[in-house]
Amino acid sequence: MMYGFGDDPNPLPESMALVEDIVMEYITDLVHKAQDIGSKRGKLSVEDFLYLIRKDLPKLNRCTELLSMNEELKQARKVFESDEEKLRKVFEADEEN
Amino acid sequence: MKQVSKDPFEAAFEEEEDESPAVAVDAPQQDDDDDYDEDGIDIQSSAADPSTSTAAPTSTPRIAAVSVAKSHAKNKDDDQEEEEEDNMDVELSKLPSAADPAKMAKMQAILTQFTEEQMSRYESFRRAGFQKSNMKRLLASITGTQKISVPMTIVVSGIAKMFVGELIETARMVMTERKESGPIRPCHIREAYRRLKLEGKIPKRSVPRLFR
Repeated sequence: MMYGFGDDPNPLPESMALVEDIVMEYITDLVHKAQDIGSKRGKLSVEDFLYLIRKDLPKLNRCTELLSMNEELKQARKVFESDEEKLRKVFEADEEN
Repeated sequence: MKQVSKDPFEAAFEEEEDESPAVAVDAPQQDDDDDYDEDGIDIQSSAADPSTSTAAPTSTPRIAAVSVAKSHAKNKDDDQEEEEEDNMDVELSKLPSAADPAKMAKMQAILTQFTEEQMSRYESFRRAGFQKSNMKRLLASITGTQKISVPMTIVVSGIAKMFVGELIETARMVMTERKESGPIRPCHIREAYRRLKLEGKIPKRSVPRLFR
Protein backbone atom coordinates (compact mmCIF):
# COMPACT_ATOMS: atom_id res chain seq x y z
CA MET A 1 0.00 0.00 0.00
CA MET A 2 2.81 2.38 0.83
CA TYR A 3 4.30 1.82 -2.59
CA GLY A 4 0.99 2.61 -4.19
CA PHE A 5 0.89 5.95 -2.42
CA GLY A 6 4.36 7.05 -3.36
CA ASP A 7 6.90 5.26 -1.25
CA ASP A 8 9.77 3.18 -2.53
CA PRO A 9 9.02 -0.23 -3.98
CA ASN A 10 10.72 -1.56 -0.86
CA PRO A 11 9.72 0.60 2.06
CA LEU A 12 11.76 0.58 5.23
CA PRO A 13 10.48 -1.86 7.82
CA GLU A 14 10.65 0.83 10.49
CA SER A 15 8.49 3.10 8.37
CA MET A 16 6.04 0.29 7.80
CA ALA A 17 5.83 -0.48 11.49
CA LEU A 18 5.34 3.17 12.30
CA VAL A 19 2.61 3.63 9.70
CA GLU A 20 0.87 0.53 10.98
CA ASP A 21 1.00 1.86 14.54
CA ILE A 22 -0.35 5.23 13.50
CA VAL A 23 -3.16 3.71 11.48
CA MET A 24 -4.16 1.38 14.32
CA GLU A 25 -4.29 4.30 16.68
CA TYR A 26 -6.27 6.32 14.15
CA ILE A 27 -8.83 3.60 13.66
CA THR A 28 -9.12 3.03 17.40
CA ASP A 29 -9.67 6.70 18.11
CA LEU A 30 -12.11 6.97 15.24
CA VAL A 31 -14.14 4.01 16.48
CA HIS A 32 -14.16 5.32 20.04
CA LYS A 33 -15.43 8.65 18.85
CA ALA A 34 -18.06 6.96 16.70
CA GLN A 35 -19.12 4.93 19.68
CA ASP A 36 -19.53 8.07 21.72
CA ILE A 37 -21.76 9.49 19.04
CA GLY A 38 -23.58 6.26 18.40
CA SER A 39 -24.27 5.54 22.02
CA LYS A 40 -26.91 8.25 21.98
CA ARG A 41 -28.72 6.39 19.24
CA GLY A 42 -28.16 2.95 20.62
CA LYS A 43 -26.12 0.84 18.26
CA LEU A 44 -23.01 1.83 16.40
CA SER A 45 -23.88 2.47 12.80
CA VAL A 46 -22.27 3.47 9.55
CA GLU A 47 -23.81 6.91 9.80
CA ASP A 48 -21.74 7.65 12.88
CA PHE A 49 -18.60 7.24 10.82
CA LEU A 50 -20.01 9.31 8.01
CA TYR A 51 -20.80 12.05 10.49
CA LEU A 52 -17.27 11.94 11.85
CA ILE A 53 -15.66 12.42 8.47
CA ARG A 54 -18.17 14.96 7.23
CA LYS A 55 -15.53 17.68 7.21
CA ASP A 56 -13.11 15.62 5.15
CA LEU A 57 -14.61 15.76 1.68
CA PRO A 58 -12.42 13.25 -0.17
CA LYS A 59 -13.01 10.63 2.50
CA LEU A 60 -16.71 11.33 2.63
CA ASN A 61 -17.11 11.07 -1.11
CA ARG A 62 -15.08 7.91 -1.20
CA CYS A 63 -17.21 6.31 1.50
CA THR A 64 -20.48 7.18 -0.18
CA GLU A 65 -19.09 5.82 -3.40
CA LEU A 66 -18.07 2.57 -1.74
CA LEU A 67 -21.44 2.18 -0.09
CA SER A 68 -23.38 2.77 -3.27
CA MET A 69 -21.17 0.29 -5.09
CA ASN A 70 -21.89 -2.20 -2.35
CA GLU A 71 -25.60 -1.71 -2.90
CA GLU A 72 -25.26 -2.12 -6.62
CA LEU A 73 -23.30 -5.32 -6.13
CA LYS A 74 -25.99 -6.67 -3.86
CA GLN A 75 -28.63 -5.93 -6.47
CA ALA A 76 -26.59 -7.50 -9.21
CA ARG A 77 -26.07 -10.58 -7.10
CA LYS A 78 -29.78 -10.87 -6.48
CA VAL A 79 -30.56 -10.65 -10.16
CA PHE A 80 -27.81 -13.12 -10.92
CA GLU A 81 -29.12 -15.66 -8.49
CA SER A 82 -32.67 -15.42 -9.75
CA ASP A 83 -31.39 -15.83 -13.29
CA GLU A 84 -29.38 -18.83 -12.26
CA GLU A 85 -32.46 -20.38 -10.74
CA LYS A 86 -34.37 -19.96 -13.97
CA LEU A 87 -31.53 -21.42 -15.98
CA ARG A 88 -31.32 -24.39 -13.69
CA LYS A 89 -35.02 -25.08 -14.02
CA VAL A 90 -34.83 -24.88 -17.78
CA PHE A 91 -31.85 -27.19 -17.75
CA GLU A 92 -33.57 -29.74 -15.58
CA ALA A 93 -36.67 -29.56 -17.69
CA ASP A 94 -34.53 -30.30 -20.72
CA GLU A 95 -32.86 -33.18 -18.95
CA GLU A 96 -36.19 -34.82 -18.28
CA ASN A 97 -37.21 -34.65 -21.91
CA MET B 1 7.28 9.37 -9.93
CA LYS B 2 6.27 11.22 -6.82
CA GLN B 3 2.57 11.72 -6.49
CA VAL B 4 2.47 14.85 -4.46
CA SER B 5 -0.72 16.63 -5.41
CA LYS B 6 -4.14 15.55 -4.38
CA ASP B 7 -5.11 14.74 -7.94
CA PRO B 8 -1.91 13.56 -9.49
CA PHE B 9 -3.65 12.06 -12.45
CA GLU B 10 -5.69 15.12 -13.22
CA ALA B 11 -2.64 17.31 -12.84
CA ALA B 12 -0.71 15.08 -15.18
CA PHE B 13 -3.50 15.21 -17.69
CA GLU B 14 -3.73 18.97 -17.61
CA GLU B 15 -0.01 19.38 -18.09
CA GLU B 16 -0.30 17.05 -21.06
CA GLU B 17 2.85 15.24 -20.23
CA ASP B 18 4.22 13.43 -23.20
CA GLU B 19 5.40 10.36 -21.46
CA SER B 20 6.54 7.34 -23.34
CA PRO B 21 3.87 6.02 -25.63
CA ALA B 22 1.17 3.77 -24.43
CA VAL B 23 2.58 0.91 -22.50
CA ALA B 24 0.75 -2.08 -23.78
CA VAL B 25 0.86 -4.41 -20.86
CA ASP B 26 -0.46 -7.49 -22.49
CA ALA B 27 -2.11 -9.35 -19.74
CA PRO B 28 -4.56 -12.04 -20.68
CA GLN B 29 -8.15 -11.06 -20.36
CA GLN B 30 -8.71 -12.03 -16.78
CA ASP B 31 -12.11 -11.78 -15.31
CA ASP B 32 -12.08 -10.13 -11.96
CA ASP B 33 -13.80 -12.39 -9.57
CA ASP B 34 -16.38 -11.17 -7.19
CA ASP B 35 -14.92 -12.19 -3.92
CA TYR B 36 -17.09 -9.80 -2.15
CA ASP B 37 -19.08 -11.86 0.30
CA GLU B 38 -17.10 -15.06 0.21
CA ASP B 39 -19.54 -16.22 -2.41
CA GLY B 40 -17.13 -16.25 -5.29
CA ILE B 41 -19.88 -15.59 -7.75
CA ASP B 42 -18.40 -14.16 -10.87
CA ILE B 43 -20.58 -11.22 -11.59
CA GLN B 44 -17.81 -9.00 -12.79
CA SER B 45 -18.25 -9.76 -16.46
CA SER B 46 -22.00 -9.48 -16.46
CA ALA B 47 -22.08 -6.32 -14.43
CA ALA B 48 -19.18 -4.78 -16.26
CA ASP B 49 -19.85 -1.87 -18.45
CA PRO B 50 -19.13 -2.95 -22.03
CA SER B 51 -18.40 0.57 -23.15
CA THR B 52 -15.33 1.00 -20.98
CA SER B 53 -13.97 -2.41 -21.81
CA THR B 54 -13.85 -1.60 -25.48
CA ALA B 55 -12.24 1.76 -25.01
CA ALA B 56 -8.49 2.27 -25.27
CA PRO B 57 -7.41 -1.08 -26.62
CA THR B 58 -3.84 -0.57 -25.53
CA SER B 59 -4.78 -0.18 -21.88
CA THR B 60 -4.72 -3.31 -19.87
CA PRO B 61 -7.86 -5.39 -19.54
CA ARG B 62 -7.52 -4.90 -15.84
CA ILE B 63 -8.04 -1.20 -16.31
CA ALA B 64 -11.05 -1.78 -18.43
CA ALA B 65 -12.50 -3.94 -15.75
CA VAL B 66 -11.51 -1.53 -13.04
CA SER B 67 -13.80 1.27 -12.10
CA VAL B 68 -12.55 4.63 -13.25
CA ALA B 69 -13.29 6.60 -10.16
CA LYS B 70 -12.56 10.19 -9.33
CA SER B 71 -8.85 10.48 -9.36
CA HIS B 72 -8.53 11.24 -5.71
CA ALA B 73 -10.72 8.34 -4.75
CA LYS B 74 -8.82 5.30 -3.78
CA ASN B 75 -10.55 2.16 -4.99
CA LYS B 76 -10.00 -1.24 -3.47
CA ASP B 77 -9.55 -3.83 -6.13
CA ASP B 78 -10.24 -7.41 -5.35
CA ASP B 79 -8.63 -9.64 -7.93
CA GLN B 80 -6.49 -12.63 -7.35
CA GLU B 81 -3.47 -10.51 -6.88
CA GLU B 82 -0.04 -12.02 -6.77
CA GLU B 83 1.22 -9.59 -4.20
CA GLU B 84 -1.83 -9.39 -2.01
CA GLU B 85 -4.21 -12.24 -1.62
CA ASP B 86 -6.92 -9.91 -0.48
CA ASN B 87 -10.50 -10.71 -1.08
CA MET B 88 -11.57 -7.14 -1.22
CA ASP B 89 -14.44 -5.46 -2.91
CA VAL B 90 -15.07 -5.84 -6.57
CA GLU B 91 -14.63 -2.85 -8.77
CA LEU B 92 -17.24 -2.50 -11.40
CA SER B 93 -16.15 -0.73 -14.48
CA LYS B 94 -19.08 1.57 -14.22
CA LEU B 95 -19.53 3.76 -11.20
CA PRO B 96 -23.10 3.71 -10.05
CA SER B 97 -23.57 7.29 -9.05
CA ALA B 98 -20.56 9.12 -10.42
CA ALA B 99 -20.42 7.67 -13.92
CA ASP B 100 -18.85 10.62 -15.58
CA PRO B 101 -17.94 9.76 -19.14
CA ALA B 102 -15.75 12.83 -19.47
CA LYS B 103 -13.77 11.87 -16.38
CA MET B 104 -13.54 8.27 -17.52
CA ALA B 105 -12.24 9.37 -20.89
CA LYS B 106 -9.67 11.54 -19.13
CA MET B 107 -8.56 8.65 -16.99
CA GLN B 108 -8.25 6.36 -19.96
CA ALA B 109 -6.19 8.96 -21.80
CA ILE B 110 -3.85 9.31 -18.83
CA LEU B 111 -3.59 5.62 -18.21
CA THR B 112 -2.47 4.88 -21.74
CA GLN B 113 0.49 7.19 -21.24
CA PHE B 114 1.82 5.65 -18.08
CA THR B 115 5.34 4.38 -17.85
CA GLU B 116 5.96 0.91 -16.51
CA GLU B 117 6.83 2.20 -13.08
CA GLN B 118 3.81 4.45 -12.96
CA MET B 119 1.58 1.63 -14.09
CA SER B 120 2.84 -0.72 -11.44
CA ARG B 121 2.51 1.92 -8.79
CA TYR B 122 -1.00 2.72 -9.91
CA GLU B 123 -1.80 -0.95 -9.88
CA SER B 124 -0.71 -1.42 -6.31
CA PHE B 125 -2.53 1.77 -5.41
CA ARG B 126 -5.76 0.34 -6.73
CA ARG B 127 -5.32 -3.17 -5.49
CA ALA B 128 -4.08 -2.45 -2.01
CA GLY B 129 -6.55 -2.65 0.78
CA PHE B 130 -7.32 -4.04 4.17
CA GLN B 131 -8.62 -7.51 4.70
CA LYS B 132 -12.28 -7.52 5.50
CA SER B 133 -11.90 -10.31 8.02
CA ASN B 134 -9.08 -8.60 9.88
CA MET B 135 -10.95 -5.34 9.93
CA LYS B 136 -14.05 -7.04 11.24
CA ARG B 137 -12.06 -8.64 14.02
CA LEU B 138 -10.31 -5.42 14.86
CA LEU B 139 -13.52 -3.42 14.99
CA ALA B 140 -15.19 -6.03 17.13
CA SER B 141 -12.30 -5.94 19.56
CA ILE B 142 -12.34 -2.15 19.76
CA THR B 143 -16.06 -1.78 20.21
CA GLY B 144 -16.41 -4.65 22.62
CA THR B 145 -18.58 -7.40 21.35
CA GLN B 146 -20.83 -5.53 19.02
CA LYS B 147 -21.82 -7.10 15.77
CA ILE B 148 -19.95 -5.37 13.00
CA SER B 149 -21.89 -5.06 9.79
CA VAL B 150 -20.19 -5.53 6.44
CA PRO B 151 -20.79 -1.96 5.26
CA MET B 152 -19.05 -0.77 8.39
CA THR B 153 -15.92 -2.75 7.60
CA ILE B 154 -16.05 -1.37 4.09
CA VAL B 155 -16.33 2.20 5.29
CA VAL B 156 -13.60 1.92 7.88
CA SER B 157 -11.27 0.16 5.46
CA GLY B 158 -11.82 2.95 2.96
CA ILE B 159 -11.21 5.64 5.54
CA ALA B 160 -8.08 3.92 6.79
CA LYS B 161 -6.67 3.51 3.31
CA MET B 162 -7.22 7.17 2.53
CA PHE B 163 -5.58 8.06 5.80
CA VAL B 164 -2.52 6.03 4.86
CA GLY B 165 -2.53 7.91 1.58
CA GLU B 166 -2.58 11.26 3.30
CA LEU B 167 0.23 10.21 5.62
CA ILE B 168 2.51 8.95 2.87
CA GLU B 169 1.80 11.85 0.54
CA THR B 170 2.49 14.36 3.29
CA ALA B 171 5.66 12.45 4.17
CA ARG B 172 6.77 12.74 0.55
CA MET B 173 6.10 16.46 0.64
CA VAL B 174 8.21 16.71 3.75
CA MET B 175 10.98 14.87 1.95
CA THR B 176 10.92 17.22 -1.02
CA GLU B 177 11.05 20.18 1.31
CA ARG B 178 14.09 18.75 2.99
CA LYS B 179 15.49 17.81 -0.41
CA GLU B 180 15.95 14.18 0.53
CA SER B 181 15.34 11.14 -1.59
CA GLY B 182 14.97 7.41 -1.30
CA PRO B 183 12.63 5.42 0.87
CA ILE B 184 10.49 7.24 3.36
CA ARG B 185 12.00 7.28 6.82
CA PRO B 186 10.16 7.27 10.13
CA CYS B 187 11.19 10.86 10.82
CA HIS B 188 9.31 11.96 7.70
CA ILE B 189 6.27 10.04 8.75
CA ARG B 190 6.36 11.53 12.21
CA GLU B 191 6.61 15.01 10.73
CA ALA B 192 3.74 14.22 8.39
CA TYR B 193 1.68 12.98 11.31
CA ARG B 194 2.40 16.17 13.21
CA ARG B 195 1.27 18.25 10.25
CA LEU B 196 -1.92 16.27 9.82
CA LYS B 197 -2.60 16.78 13.49
CA LEU B 198 -2.25 20.52 13.06
CA GLU B 199 -4.70 20.37 10.17
CA GLY B 200 -7.12 18.59 12.43
CA LYS B 201 -7.38 15.41 10.42
CA ILE B 202 -6.49 13.20 13.34
CA PRO B 203 -9.29 12.51 15.78
CA LYS B 204 -8.21 13.88 19.10
CA ARG B 205 -8.55 11.92 22.25
CA SER B 206 -10.37 13.67 24.98
CA VAL B 207 -8.87 11.23 27.46
CA PRO B 208 -5.09 10.83 27.25
CA ARG B 209 -3.84 7.40 26.36
CA LEU B 210 -2.50 5.48 29.31
CA PHE B 211 -0.50 2.28 29.42
CA ARG B 212 0.54 2.26 25.81
